[in-house]
Amino acid sequence: MRYTTSQPVLKLLYVALPLLLLIGWTDKPKDNALQIPITYYKLNNGLKVVLSQDKTSPIIAVGVYYNIGFRIEPKNRTGFAHLFEHMMFQGSKNLGKMEFIKLVQKNGGVLNGSTRFDFTNYFEVMPAHMLKPTLWAEADRMSGLAITDANLINQQGVVKNEVKVNVLNQPYGGFPWLDMPQYANENWYNAHNFYGDLADLDSAKLEDVHQFFKTYYAPDNAVLVIVGDFDIAEAKKIIDQYFNVIPSSPLPNKPDLSEPRQEKEKRFTKEDKLANKPAIAVAYKMPDKNTPEFYAMGLIDQLMVQGHDSKLYQAMVQEKGYTDVVNGGINYLGNMFDYNGPMVWMSDMTYDSTTSADSIIHQYDKAINELMNNITAEDVKLASIKLRSSLYDQIGSFYGFGKLNLLASFALFEDNPAKINDLENEFNKVTPELVKKTAKEYLRSTNRTILIIDPKAH
Amino acid sequence: MKKIRIYILAIIGLLNFNLVIGQPPSGSTPKDFILPAKKVKNFPNGFRTTMVQFGSIPKATISLIIKTGNVHEGPNEVWLADLTSQLMKEGTTHMNFKTLSKKVAQMGGDVNISVGQSQTTITGTVLSEYVPEFIKVVADLVMNPAFPASELERIKGDLKRQYNVDKTVPQSQAAEKFYGALYKGHPYGQYYPTEEMINRYTLQMVKDFYNKNFGAKRSVLYVAGKFDEAAANVAAQTAFSKWKPGAAVFYPPVKAVTSNDTLIVDRKGAPQTTIMVGLPTLTPKDKDYVPQVVANSMLAGSFGSRITSNIRENKGYTYSPFGFIRNVPGSSLWIEQADVTSEHTIDALKEIEKEVDRLGNEPPSKDELEGIQKYEAGIFVLRNSDPAAIINQLNFLDLYHLDDSYLTNYVKNVYKVTPEKVSEVVKNNISYPKMTLIMVGDRDSIQRQIVSPKKAF
Repeated sequence: MRYTTSQPVLKLLYVALPLLLLIGWTDKPKDNALQIPITYYKLNNGLKVVLSQDKTSPIIAVGVYYNIGFRIEPKNRTGFAHLFEHMMFQGSKNLGKMEFIKLVQKNGGVLNGSTRFDFTNYFEVMPAHMLKPTLWAEADRMSGLAITDANLINQQGVVKNEVKVNVLNQPYGGFPWLDMPQYANENWYNAHNFYGDLADLDSAKLEDVHQFFKTYYAPDNAVLVIVGDFDIAEAKKIIDQYFNVIPSSPLPNKPDLSEPRQEKEKRFTKEDKLANKPAIAVAYKMPDKNTPEFYAMGLIDQLMVQGHDSKLYQAMVQEKGYTDVVNGGINYLGNMFDYNGPMVWMSDMTYDSTTSADSIIHQYDKAINELMNNITAEDVKLASIKLRSSLYDQIGSFYGFGKLNLLASFALFEDNPAKINDLENEFNKVTPELVKKTAKEYLRSTNRTILIIDPKAH
Repeated sequence: MKKIRIYILAIIGLLNFNLVIGQPPSGSTPKDFILPAKKVKNFPNGFRTTMVQFGSIPKATISLIIKTGNVHEGPNEVWLADLTSQLMKEGTTHMNFKTLSKKVAQMGGDVNISVGQSQTTITGTVLSEYVPEFIKVVADLVMNPAFPASELERIKGDLKRQYNVDKTVPQSQAAEKFYGALYKGHPYGQYYPTEEMINRYTLQMVKDFYNKNFGAKRSVLYVAGKFDEAAANVAAQTAFSKWKPGAAVFYPPVKAVTSNDTLIVDRKGAPQTTIMVGLPTLTPKDKDYVPQVVANSMLAGSFGSRITSNIRENKGYTYSPFGFIRNVPGSSLWIEQADVTSEHTIDALKEIEKEVDRLGNEPPSKDELEGIQKYEAGIFVLRNSDPAAIINQLNFLDLYHLDDSYLTNYVKNVYKVTPEKVSEVVKNNISYPKMTLIMVGDRDSIQRQIVSPKKAF
């Protein structure tokens, strides 16, 4: 099938990273579970370091995650966190424009960066023997940028083209991954246009770039993760040599990101001049992270929308024939662990104009009622197996990067990368009763936002 | 005088010092990379299995790859291969879709069937302990499809919806025109059906397509990951040895069109123009294929490549340029694709032309070439360090009749490429005046930029 889909991640390069799927753990005995080896410590300047060896292939993945996502970018500068991510490739103290990229490439590696809700990441997958130069280069750009107006103008052009190719010149551009947070949320931090208005992108100045770097790109606001075939003692020595000299910096207080409890269903229609079929997205506000209900939602997601056996797939595709695919998950820009603030559980589909949005909503209500009334221990077990399997996929994805991403998120947000080995316990605690209770509160119709694409192309 | 001299020396000293600390340190000694070993079994009916143990994660990827696809559709049967595979997914004579999808979910997996130009793939990843069971499901699907009449109209509706949605995507519009032009009159050039065409498809047509094109001789089962190989072999042997041999592998001969045609698809008011520009080029069997891969990485196929450095990192005309070699049995194309901001459509094309000409006329420096060679060597390791990627590599060898030496000598052959060879393959095979150009964008805006149509390109 010649079929194109767009990748909803704000990133430096246009490459197809595997979509980060929903993950979880199992109800199997602990000795069967995959245990990830972890060394975790902090440098004097506050930089968190996570090391995890895996000698499967002679490669390493190195990632630096900064605790600054698009959610908390400056209010008059929408899209700035992402534009800034691009500037991190434009030149640092000892590496001129394109030199970082060439250093990685000419040594047989690949690199990328991306901007998410609550972090911005930079990573390289390299041949194992390139550990030292890779760490040197990441330390170099953590130490300071050396960029010009010309670099900024160039990347404003590149980023505007990124927005055009992913949003403005695409049918369903930005739907629902970029749109839904803007409709579902009330708090500006969660509800603004993360890609940025083109006018805001144009108005960014070099001074803004320097200020942003100074404010957020400090070692005490970051984590460095290395995964793969390397020697722990040697890595520690190199890290100490290159990163320990970078001074820490006082961080601003984090703004209040909270969302009020939603008490009323919200429904919006968005015209799309480029689309010729309607589409619908339905989003329910998630429970707070790491609560028992949060883990229950991980299993609910599996039962409701992941895989061909899921309730929504069976109803919308098989029984009703409304669509051929139901997309869905927690955090369309990552997975259920790599964010740190309000979130929605969402699903979406395109359908024919002969189907009414209400008949689709009716199927949602039916599936949710069925879940609340009929959930069994067997269902919970099935959901757990699916979670465990997708966790393994996640951990194995992109040459160690999937594992790196989880370790970085747990270190950055919870100061506990070893949590990757404890998820099993958390999901094991979920009972059919907890699923019922969670569905009752979080899959309420009054807790949802519905966004419908009204197609205007013919 | 003396003082000044000291001062100058001090500055030089400082610069030298900066230069010393400003250089990245070298890496340590490269580690050996050993290709994961494959185990191949040939069955009397022509079926083959290829298994590779890889990694420590208790999962495996199972892919049954059948050498049939859109290429075997007739002129009025576009997407009949897709309809066949979608209907195949609906269940077997032993298990309906609901039972099957639940069974597979209990293994931690899902079955997906995808259709490409030349191959159809039934694939899934499951927890290690379920590999034999999953192989049985795959075999049941491909050998005993139920093709339920009750689902035919629904799936035809799905295909029509996908077709309508896809036709509005600029990259798909460009691809339709581009492949339509390069493979005119051949199934490779039939990109989209019409609704009327889909309406005419019957269950009998699906069954005929299946009977004609599916069978053991055209199929290879790949399993890669961490799994019990003996159990997987027993499952494959039990399930697939009974399959009918079916037709031999056959791909209709093809000769792609070389022309310098320029085609514009009007997309009123589009903020970008989607460009596809390219031509027929060397196929994987050619002795200069590896040099061509190296040349493409230098010209357009990597982030540090010349075209990407130019039109993205220097000019800011685009976010997403990339050049690639697209292979199908019997034909390969070199293609540069980019979505460029509308007002710089022609500027971007001029730069692409300039870079293609430059590399064809002037051999690159040894340094630049060495950088690309190391890149290719590194990417080769990555291409063999993931179960799905390993399967891709092995399937590539199989589809293009390459022997194992293609992989075992790959890195050596990459390093054999000389600067002159890079230039030569570009000059002989990636010549801009022989390229077909497709532009999907605002026609008026594009035409305003064309001072003289021929000269501009």
